[in-house]
Formats: sequence, C-alpha cells, structure tokens
Amino acid sequence: MIHDFLTIIQDYWLLLLIGQYPNGPLGGLANTLILSALAIALAFPVSILMALARLSTWRLLRWPMTALVYVTRGVPLLMLILWCYFVIPLWTGADVPSFLIMLVTLVIYQGAFLSEVVRAGIVSLGQGQMDAARALGHGYMGAMRFIILPQALYNMIPSMISTFVSTIKDTTLGYVINVPDLTFAASQVNNQLLTQPFQVFLILAVVYYILCWSLTYVANSVERRIARRRAGPRNARLPAEATPLKTITEQL
Amino acid sequence: MSTSVSEPQAAQAIRITDVCKSYGDYPVLKNINAEVVRGEVVVICGPSGSGKSTLIRTVNRLEEINSGGISFEGQDIHAPMRSSELNKLRSRIGFVFQSFNLFPHLSVVDNVSLSPIRVKGVPANVAHEKALKLLDRVGLADKANSYPGQLSGGQQQRVAIARALAMEPPVMLFDEPTSALDPEMVGEVLSVMKSLAAEGMTMLCVTHEMGFARDVADRIWFIDAGEILETAPPEEFFKNPRHPRAQRFLADLRH
Repeated sequence: MIHDFLTIIQDYWLLLLIGQYPNGPLGGLANTLILSALAIALAFPVSILMALARLSTWRLLRWPMTALVYVTRGVPLLMLILWCYFVIPLWTGADVPSFLIMLVTLVIYQGAFLSEVVRAGIVSLGQGQMDAARALGHGYMGAMRFIILPQALYNMIPSMISTFVSTIKDTTLGYVINVPDLTFAASQVNNQLLTQPFQVFLILAVVYYILCWSLTYVANSVERRIARRRAGPRNARLPAEATPLKTITEQL
Repeated sequence: MSTSVSEPQAAQAIRITDVCKSYGDYPVLKNINAEVVRGEVVVICGPSGSGKSTLIRTVNRLEEINSGGISFEGQDIHAPMRSSELNKLRSRIGFVFQSFNLFPHLSVVDNVSLSPIRVKGVPANVAHEKALKLLDRVGLADKANSYPGQLSGGQQQRVAIARALAMEPPVMLFDEPTSALDPEMVGEVLSVMKSLAAEGMTMLCVTHEMGFARDVADRIWFIDAGEILETAPPEEFFKNPRHPRAQRFLADLRH
C-alpha cells in the first residue's frame, strides 16, 4: 500500500508539481499556488472596497454592491465559473485563458464573502471609534485607514483565514474548465494509472490539507505576534499578555 | 486662520442660537440659546435624558440639528460646507467622551500623536515629543508605550484628554468624562480638568460632579427636557436655584 504511494509520487512528482511545463502550460501544485495567492491577494483589497461601498451613504454605490453580494452569495461557485467561462468569451470575442477566468471568478466570489466579513468587523467596532476619529478632525478615509480598518481587520483574522482557506480549496473547481492545476494533474495521473484512484486522490487530499494548514498556521502566528505586541513589552509579564491569546486560540 | 474682517466678537468662543433637534416626533433640544465666553468654564447639568449629551455633541456636529445655528469662533459649524472644512473645524474643538474611545490598537503615545501627524501634518518626531509632554502633564509619562487595554479607566480618560489637547484646541468639550469610572478614579480625571481650567482653557462640560461644578465652573446651564431652564454662576445656582425644576433636581441630589 505505502509502496503504491511512493511509486506514484516517484513517477509523477514532476507532473503534480508543475504540470506539463516546460513542454506545455504551467500546471500542478505550482499553478494552484499561483492561482490561490493571486485570488487571495486580489480578493482582499476588493473585499475592503466592496465593504466600504456597502456601508456607504451614497445609494449609487451601496445598492449595486449589495445586489452583487447577494447574487454572488446565492449562486453556487460552480455555476458562476461555468457562466463566466461561456459568457466572457461571448462578450469580449477573445479567447480568454481559463486560468484568467477562474481567477476573476474567484476574486468576485471570495471578494463578496470576504466583504461581509470586513463589513461585520467594521460594524462591530461600534460608533465610538468613528466618533473619536471624527472629533479629532480625521476625514472618513483617514479614519478608516488609521483607526477603523486596522482594528476591524485584526479582529476578523479568524474569519478571514477561513475565507482564504476556502479560496485555496475552491481553486480545485477550476478543473471543470480545464485550469491546469494540481487537481487537473492528479486526474491526469489517475487516467494513466486507471486502477489506483484511492491512492492518487489521497495524495491530492494530503497536499491540499498541508497547504491550507500552513496558511492557518502562518496567520495564527501573525495574530499571536500582534496580540503579544499589544500586551506590552515582552519582559513586562502582564496578565494581559496571556488572556487575549487564550481567547483567540479557543476561537479557532 | 487669523481673524479676517469680522467684528471684534473675540470674547465669544461658542454661540448657540435657536437650536432645535428632534428624533422623529420626539424633540430632544427645544430652541436652545446660549453662549460660552472665551476662557470660561461652563458646566451643563440636568437629569438623565434631558438632552445634555445631545447638546454637547451638536457643538462639534457629531449630531446634526434640525434648525438654528452653532457658531464656533464666528464660524457656523452647522452651515452646509465641504467635509474637509468641517474636519478642520472639528480638529480645533477638543472632545472627551464618556467611554474614552481610545484607539486600542495604538500605544498611548501613538494615540496622542496620531491626529497631529495625520490631520495637521506635524512631523512625527515633533508630535511624539509633544505627546510625551502632554502625557507628563496628565501624569502618565511612564505609560507612553503601554496600550489602552493595560490602563485603568481613570488613566485611559487622562490619555483621552491628552489626545484631545494634542490638537491644541482653543475649546474643550467634555461629555460626562467621569461617569464610566470607578469612584476612586474620578478624582484624578477631575484634577486634570481643574488644572486645565486654571490655565484658562475654555471648557464646556456635561457632568454629574456637582463638587467640580461648584469649584471650577464659571456658569451652570441647567437643562431639562431639551430646554435650558436656568443659567447662573454656581454659587447662585446651588444656593438659590430659581426654576422649580432646578430646585427639585438639587433637592434630589442631596438625598
């Protein structure tokens, strides 16, 4: 049994790692990482803008964004992917690479979910912080940038990690529109072996698990470092140093 | 902002004219007329729900009003204006909240120096030095690198006062600054306020601390049900309140 796994890895590690590259497009784990990283890196700022638009007093901004968020949340990701896959080439008339379609879809979809997290973070801070910022003469954007968002985003780290992790997992759906990612490579391997689907897809699952787990791990240690800094100098040994950490760990 | 052609109204810091405000059908402020002279300490007192906090929050336009006007150094705060203009005006009115509202993600010294740096464009090192001086003044120089969460309520409120002072406002507004404090911490905040008053700061304070009102205020505004019923110097107000509602209020306090 273990021997099967080792053989598969030994024979196909390069395909799983980078796909057909350099004889074909870059694929495999490398492409999954690139797609995930880009999707997260773009969805994050997009979600902040979407959240601010949803909180805006300006209806022209608030209403369309609210509609977009509701529609996006109410439609399965797979539908959205297929829809973009068939409609975008019709609109643009160009041959848009499936990687790009997947990226755009993920950014919109995860951006919408993340924007609700960001919005919740902002709203849960309460009016006091904004009042204080305003009373000191900060404008709306300044208050958001220096006072509201740093707190809202920090408080929302656990929820944001969840969304980031699900972004990584959602890249697998690119399989249906032939995005050459890790899942795509694994199914190629499976098609060649034919008799060992369990082994192949277990390897796949383990790789995704390690990927998602490391992201959670990194985010947690960042969060812990911020909490420690806020608790004061390291040698102060205040009870406050332990308390927020404990609550945060228990949440996760 | 040197005074332009305007008349010599220098004595007036805040002038409230015919201010009305209601939440739906419910009137919170009814035709308020009052003024604060430069260098004066005014204490607003009255039973809870009387509109004290709403009134003081309209002075820097944290609350909008329905009609009337509030001028601050001759400029109408509630006139239609660009938000950048309003921000500039607000930055010159210090405001201290009941619930402190310190920025918990910033150290104490950053709490105090953030707004001078970001709003006024003061260089960071200058703002930091100034912040340390202000913290020293409120007796918290040793807490500069602490975070708000590590401080007691009284210490937090003193930081909040230092933060407001960092913008060098000619006027300070206090909205029940000691109401959220444990009794033993009220004194430290009041003594900072007293020293401010002694230095000639123009102050408008909503407070239930009648001792402070008696010792420090130049005038008391007694407000109930959205109306200023009486304005008087403290000795007069506490000895011979004229309005029956004020008499009842003071009698209730003595129980």
